[in-house]
Amino acid sequence: MVKYFAKISQIGPLVDEFISGGVLVFFGQNAPEELREFAILHDGETLNEDIVVGDQFCIANECFTILAIGEVANQNLKALGHFIIKFNGEHKPEMPGDICTEVRPLPPIRVGDTFAFKSAN
Amino acid sequence: MSEEKKYRKVRIKRGPKGWGGPLIIEPKPGRDLIYSVTGGGIHPLAQHIANLTGGRPFDGFKSKADFSEIAVAVIDCGGTARVGVYPMKKVPTVDIYPTSPSGPLMRFITEEYFVSGVRPEDVELVDE
Repeated sequence: MVKYFAKISQIGPLVDEFISGGVLVFFGQNAPEELREFAILHDGETLNEDIVVGDQFCIANECFTILAIGEVANQNLKALGHFIIKFNGEHKPEMPGDICTEVRPLPPIRVGDTFAFKSAN
Repeated sequence: MSEEKKYRKVRIKRGPKGWGGPLIIEPKPGRDLIYSVTGGGIHPLAQHIANLTGGRPFDGFKSKADFSEIAVAVIDCGGTARVGVYPMKKVPTVDIYPTSPSGPLMRFITEEYFVSGVRPEDVELVDE
């Protein structure tokens, strides 16, 4: 089941720096200017069901298993389209906003690509 | 006399599990926005700071403002992005959540510009 789905509308000039640190920052389209510099903006709207450990995060046709999810991550996604993905292999979120996945190289990410959160089956 | 706006100064200290601060916030003409960058409109803590200081509550997700107009930014950041952006721009920043410096921008997060875990009772008026 798809829990959240969106298309990427803008990629900030500093996103590359975050990618090299294994972190992606997402915001909805109404994010203030200062957050756009290092964020991926998208048109997602509705979170159908809270994301839980074991779900998949799929971007540009690659899927990553979610290993940990911070206590405010679902709330941020619902309210602001905002979430932070760390591709760090951690089973405990370092910060309350984190979503952690397995460590694998990221595919190239471009404007127009889509991403989704899905339950495992 | 003309309608001279009266601003008051507050001290904002860290909450029980928070980090940083205390911050002294005093809005001034042209720099009086209590800039709420939070989910669901003006956060109650931003409203509270505005009520105490006489600053203007402002929703950063609805309208645009210059950094130079912001007296203080109020965020509900889980620790990576917003915690660093406003301190990087030298805007005093209050996080509702008890975060500590982290993330790619952590070098900008200093006690001088950042305080976290803040509750309404952590904001108090400063007598002149």
